[in-house]
This record gives sequence, structure tokens and C-alpha cells, in this order.
Amino acid sequence: MQPRSPTRFIDPALLAGISHLDLVAKTVVDGFVAGLHRSPDFGFSQEFAEYRAYTPGDDLRHVDWNVFARTERMYLKRYRGETNSQLTLMIDTSASMGYSSHGINKLDYGRYLAVSLAYLSNLQRDAAGVIIFDDDVRSYVQPSTRQGQFMRVAHAIEHAQTGTHTNFAKPFIHFQQFLRRRGIVVVISDFYEQPEVVIKTVEPLRYRGNDLILFHVLDPQEIRPKLKEPSLLVDMETEDAIEVSPEYAKEEYGAKIDAHIAALKIKANAAGIDYQLLPTDRPLDDALREYFLIRKGRM
Amino acid sequence: MGFFAPWFLAGAVAIGLPFWIHLLRQYRSTPHPFSSLMFFERRTQSSIKHRRLRYLLLLSLRVALLLLIALAFANPFVSRSGGATGGRKMLVIAVDNSFSMRYDDHLARAKQTAVNAVSNLNPGERGQVLAVGSRVHFLTQPVEEADQLKAAIQGIQPSDEQSSYGELARALRTISQTSRIPLEVHFSSDLQKSSMPPAFADLRLGTDTKLVFHSVADSKEPNWMLESVTAPAKIYDPKKVRIQAVVAGSNTPQTKRTVSLALDGKTLESKMLDVPSNGRASVEFLSLDSPHGFHKGEIRIEPGDALHEDDRFDFAIERTDPHPVLFLHPAGQTLDELYYRSALESVSEAGFTLEPLAVEQAGNQSLSKYAFVVLSDVGTMPPGLEANLRAYVAGGGSLLVALGPLSAALARVPVSNETIQGSAYASRGDSRFETVAAADAEHPTLRRANKLDGVKFYQEIKVDPGQSHVIARLTNQAPLLLEKQVGEGRVVVFTSTFDNVGNDMPLHASFVPFVEETARYLGGQQDRSTNVAVDSYIELRSAQEHGSAIDVTEPDGSHPLSLKDASTTQTFQVTREGFYDIHRANGREELVAVHADRRESDLTPIPQETLALWQNTGLGPDTPSGDGSAADTQPRPWSLWRYALLLVLIIAIIESVLASRYLSVEKEVA
Repeated sequence: MQPRSPTRFIDPALLAGISHLDLVAKTVVDGFVAGLHRSPDFGFSQEFAEYRAYTPGDDLRHVDWNVFARTERMYLKRYRGETNSQLTLMIDTSASMGYSSHGINKLDYGRYLAVSLAYLSNLQRDAAGVIIFDDDVRSYVQPSTRQGQFMRVAHAIEHAQTGTHTNFAKPFIHFQQFLRRRGIVVVISDFYEQPEVVIKTVEPLRYRGNDLILFHVLDPQEIRPKLKEPSLLVDMETEDAIEVSPEYAKEEYGAKIDAHIAALKIKANAAGIDYQLLPTDRPLDDALREYFLIRKGRM
Repeated sequence: MGFFAPWFLAGAVAIGLPFWIHLLRQYRSTPHPFSSLMFFERRTQSSIKHRRLRYLLLLSLRVALLLLIALAFANPFVSRSGGATGGRKMLVIAVDNSFSMRYDDHLARAKQTAVNAVSNLNPGERGQVLAVGSRVHFLTQPVEEADQLKAAIQGIQPSDEQSSYGELARALRTISQTSRIPLEVHFSSDLQKSSMPPAFADLRLGTDTKLVFHSVADSKEPNWMLESVTAPAKIYDPKKVRIQAVVAGSNTPQTKRTVSLALDGKTLESKMLDVPSNGRASVEFLSLDSPHGFHKGEIRIEPGDALHEDDRFDFAIERTDPHPVLFLHPAGQTLDELYYRSALESVSEAGFTLEPLAVEQAGNQSLSKYAFVVLSDVGTMPPGLEANLRAYVAGGGSLLVALGPLSAALARVPVSNETIQGSAYASRGDSRFETVAAADAEHPTLRRANKLDGVKFYQEIKVDPGQSHVIARLTNQAPLLLEKQVGEGRVVVFTSTFDNVGNDMPLHASFVPFVEETARYLGGQQDRSTNVAVDSYIELRSAQEHGSAIDVTEPDGSHPLSLKDASTTQTFQVTREGFYDIHRANGREELVAVHADRRESDLTPIPQETLALWQNTGLGPDTPSGDGSAADTQPRPWSLWRYALLLVLIIAIIESVLASRYLSVEKEVA
């Protein structure tokens, strides 16, 4: 990761000071898009793409009659906007997502990410929907391009609250029925589950040609805990307590979480799933860049 | 096992403190919520397990530390019977070698009984020999060899000291405390009643001390003695000498004794004296024809008795000429000289003769031969006189300055240089006068002058004291008597006159003592007793005098002071009868006669009841009196607080090391 200018990307902790999620999304996405170089690979849906010779059976509405008047040949005009997609955001709101060691907890970070993606897809005329889940589906907004869809999605995201513990298997069974069209599925979670279980659970989402992105949101303290003295740690989901020494947290726990992240990444890639680790002290642009890469691949 | 102070065990509740620190405080840590414990194993992690173990060790040490402190304060003891020491005892042989043991063959008999007592020394036991005088002399270390003890006993020589049984009891207590085994003390003595301490409590013995008396004196042994001799230290006129001697007897019938006065071994006069039964009689010798110098005087009674050492009494006497005193006064003024001379010469033993001289004629007067110089109301002095006086005082001479009307014209007091501020006059008619308001009654000049009480001062010269010490002040706070050290000598300033004009002091009874004591003080003839008792201390020098060596020659001709002691020691204790020659730092010789304390001549023994009480102090409260062997088998407490304190020290050190190691580990982790 290259060092970034502090003025270009906004610290996620600062976003917590913005009360409305739609404003958060606008702040993040506008700042991100304004910083991009103009590129032929990226554009908006009404942008011209190419001409193609008319063949019998083509819709006459797409014939460029101006060209026909000048050349007496019929060409079809194609736009990139026509290659629109469906974005489904799946946000884990289990209790562990409420953990925070600094200004912003993981759920807030996930919400900012989700609403930013929803805003971005709205700009691109993509249909965006959201599923809020923990051990069950708590809220669902069907992907749509209707007017006010972004606000519905933002509203659902804003009202997401931390729930109980995560149970991937149970809600994901139901997700299959929500995903009727192929599109992009974004899962935002801390994935406190065995990597095999996670991949096995989310893998069916790809079967209908969906692109699947796993955004692994973790607090920096979860990756490298810094304990000054033996501490009593309480599990936020199960409320179990374990006394942990600084030495253990530094050595054994660090090795285990690194192995977990590595295993999750390897298994995701093996299953054709995109995986991105997002520490909550890092700006959201990595996530947005990942989304664009996927979106590009679908055009 | 028991406790001498069991209520201190209540302090053991303090062990709750380390428990609170180690357990409650340690595990009351605030829980930290964490997203998931998926990667933490539910087992006691090795590092924490290790740490807890170490903390438990620290906890144990701290608890033990507090318990031991409480235990040490509670003073635990175990009861140990005499058998705990294996039935062993320590044999202490004490022999009285005080002055009274010179009576007949008392000392020889005491030594024989002491040698016999050595047979009580069992194999494996130790014995020690003491000689008891005014102090206790340890003649041997605790040894097991009987021959060594006997040799020490045989080596005991009679002394001139007064025996002190209180000192013996103190020494026995010390031995008992240090040896920690029962003592068997055999005390061979004449058991004089006069050697008992003022308080019976001073005789108490240590635990398990069995005291056995071996009396070498009969209950009623007659003894005559020269109880006291009163003789002047200096005589100026052989015709005016008065020597008084008191002869006393104890357990004696009425008898006649011849009392003789001898000087330097030559008998000068003898008188017959009737001494009543158990009474005393005195005799006086009214002349002592002697040449100049120191003489060794002796009074003796004849015939002698079994204790012939107290039938003679030594005294030292010095025949000398009176010392001249120069009295400088203005020409024409003789009243002050008249009064001062009358006062000085009225004291026969003062030893001063007054030489008056008009100040106008004293310009070239040599001052070195005078004991001191008096300046009486001297105004302007002839050239050279003040410088002469200044040199005289700086060289060790003394000067008495009386200020009068003529002195008021001077700016400064001669030699002492204190500023004269003016004069003050009072009227007799209005009864306006000053009296002494404050005076240092301990100062030698006023010691017998009753603070000049009642003396009215009509005229005085006001002097700024400056660096002088004010000895007396008048009611108007003006200094009356001042003293100043100038060089090696001193100047005493009297701010009034010696006539009866400026004051009425010459008409008061305090005038003669004032003049006499002032003359003694300035003339360097302060009272130094030349007849002292054994064990007294002779003052060799004052605290201010250093450097010059003082030589002391004992009666046998030995010099007891080392070179260092000769230049630093302030006092010297005399320990034997006879004459001590003292060569002082200023070159003066002194002869001091030392005689034994006459309480030693009273051979009245201690009552048996008192001796029994004394013996019982060493047997403990529950032991039947008179049965010393019971003390050996009686269980006695053995205090353990020292061991508890030692353990406290060791544990405290270990705890400190351990705690510091833990702290250093936590610091690294942090």
C-alpha cells in the first residue's frame, strides 16, 4: 500500500462525525471519483461505446439514423450504460461487529463501506440492494433501479444494529432466493468462523454467475492486540471470559489470526471469490477500488 | 511455648493486606470486551500460570513476614529446664580487695576461701575470677582450667579502693545475660555494711544466679581510725597554722591514743587523746614550723591496730610567701586603698600583700612579679604604663579596673578598650541610688558576695560592654562588673570605686568576700583541694586549655599519663593512697595527698537477713529461698524474639529480591 495524502482520503474515524449515511457516501465517493484519472475503462452508463453493423433481427430503435442518412448504411449505436449490473450488499451485524479500539467500530466501518458502494452503484445506474443479517436475516432491500432506491438502501443500512452472534449457514440458505439475477454480491463481515465454513457457506452465491467480494473488516487491535498486563477478555457474542497474558496475545494470538486471514484469502481465491482485508483504521478507497475492478470485469 | 506479650498477636490480622494485594486486587481487573475469543484457548496460559506461581511465592513470603513481625512483638518463649543447659553452670569467684581487706589477714583468708571455691568447678564448666573494689576487675576470661583461676586469685593484691557491692551485682547481671547459663558466685569479702548501695534494687542479681558468701570478718572487730584531718593547703605564717584531726573508733572500748603530727617523716608534735567507746575525739595542732615549699604532712595515732593503714592520714601543705598585688591609684587618693587593703589582709589565708603606688610613679614599673594589678579610679596614665599593662595582661597577667570620677574623662577603659559612655551620679539626699539588679552568682568573683545585695551605688561610670562578659548589672541596666579576656590574661572592670563615696559597698559584709574571691580569681589561686580521697578525680586543666603537657607522678614514682594523655586529659582519677606530684602546664608544682575513703574503716557487717534477701534476688520469684539447686531444675522461659527477628530480616531480603524481579519483568512487557 502506497502512502496516501491525508487530504485525499478521509480517515474513517472522521466519517463517524457525519450524521447521515447518504452524506457519508457522497463524501467518500465524490472524493474518490474526483481523484481518479480519466480512463477509457471507466464511465457512466449513457456514455457511447461502439458502432456495430446492423444485422437482421436487431432492434431498429438502436439504429443511428444520422449515420444512415450520410452513408446509407445501417449501424447500431451501443452505450456502456446498457451493461448495468446488480449489486447486493450483505452486512454482518453480529455482536462482534460492534468492537472498536478507536473512534469507529467495525459495523460503522462496514456501513460506510456499504453505503458508499450503494451510492457508487446508484451513480452507475446499477441496481443496489442490501441484506442485513446476523444469525438470521434482519433486513432486506431488493436491488432495484427505481427512483429513491439509494435512499431506501441507505435507510436500511443506517438502521442496522448489532445483533447476536454470527451464523453464516442459516441466513445464507435464504440468500439464494433473493438473488434471482446475476450480479455482484458484497459480503461485509469480520468472518469469525472457520475459513472452510465461510467459503462453503458463501460459495453457492457464485453459482448463478455472481461475482462475490468478501470484505473482511477487522479492528487493528484484533490483528495486533497490545496488552500491557494480563487482561480478562470477554467475548462480545458468547460473553465467555478468558484471561490473556501480553505474551500470549503478542505471540500465539498474532500467529493464529495471521493464519486465519491467510487461509481465508487462499480459500476464497481458490473458490473464485475476491477477498479484501479492511482494517478499520484504513480509508475506504481500497474497498471502492476493488469494487471497480470487479465492475470492470463485468462489462 | 508461650508469649510474653500475646496481645501483639492481634497484629497478625495484617496478613489480610497481602491477600488483598495478591488476590482481590489482582483479579478485580476490569474485563475488556473483545470481538471473539475464537483464537484464544480455554486453558491457563503458560505465562500466567508461571506468574501466578511466582506470585504465590511472593504472597507466602509477605504473609510470613507479617506473621513473624507480630510474633517477634509478642515475644514468644519456650520453657526450658535447667537440664536444657545440660546442668552446667558457670563458676564466678569474686574476691573483695578493697581497703578494708587490709585488716589483719582478711585478704589472705578471702583468697584461701576463693581457692577452695574453685573446687566447685566441674569438668566442662567454666569459671571466672573477679576482684571487687570501687569497680569490678575481671582478672580472667571464662576458662575451664582451675589452675588458671587459682593463679588469678593468688595474684590479687590489696587496693585502696572502697568496695561497691552494687558494682558487683551489675557485673554479675552482665555475666548472666551474656553467658545464658546459671551462675554460681562465691564472694569472699568482709561484707561491710558501708559498701551497700543506696538502693537495695541495685543489688538484684540475674536469673539463676546462686550467690554464696564467704565472710572473712568477725561480727565485732575493733578499729580506730583517723577519720579526718583539716589542714590548710598553703601556709604563709607558721605561727598561724591550725591543723585539726578527728580520731574515731568502731566496736572499740574507751581508750587513750597518742596523736602525732609529722612533716616529711619527722615528728613535730604529739598529743594524748581520750577516745570514747565507739565515739570520736578531735585534736588540734596550732603551729607548723616548716621551710618554704611543698611538704608531706602526716597525722598518725599510736599504738596502731589491725588495720594500721587508717591509723595515719596524709596531707599536703605548701609554705609560701604572700603574693604581691600592685594597687595603682591617683596621688592623693588613699581611701580606696585603705578599704581594699583592709579587706584583702583581713583574710589570713588569702596570701596576698598589697603594694600601693601612685599611678604617676608607675611609668617604668615592672609588673611581672605581681599576682595581679588594681587600677583604682585612674585617669590619665603616664606614657608607657598602659602599653606596659597591656603587655602584662596579654602575657597572662590579670587586671582589676575600678572606674571613678577621674576615669570618666577617659574615652575608653584602659587595656580592655571598652567605650566609656559617661558617668551617672545620684544624690544621697533624695535617696536616689542604684542597686544590683542582675548578677551571675556562679561567677568566681561573686560566689560568696551574695550578689552584692543591699549595696547602694551612687556613682557609676557607664561603659559599653562591647565584647566583654557582663557579670552584674545595676537597676538602670548599666554594667557594674565586666570581664574580658585579653590575650592570655583577663581584665575585670568594676564601674564604681572601692571607697565609700561612689557606693557604700565597703560598709557591707559582702565587700570582703568580693575582694578575696576577686583576688583569688585574678591571682590564679582558686581553690584546688590538695587532700582528696581515693577514687576522686583531680582536675588537670580546664576545657579551654590544650596543648601543654601535664605530668603526674604517682606515690610509687610512676608516670601514669601517656604523652597524648598528658596533653589532652582534663581529669585524673587517683586510685591509691599517698602523695601525687602534679606538674601543671604553667610550670607550677602541686602536691596532692590521697587517703582511703574512711567509710572503709567501718567494719560493721551486713545483717544476715539482708544477705539472704540479696541471695534470693537471683533465684527467681517461685524458688524457695536458700535452695540454690532448685533453680537448676526449675523450667525457665527462653525468649525466641531474636530468632523471629532474624527470620524477618532474611525473609524481607528475599521478598525484596523477588518483588524487584517481578517488577523488572512487568516493565519489559510494558
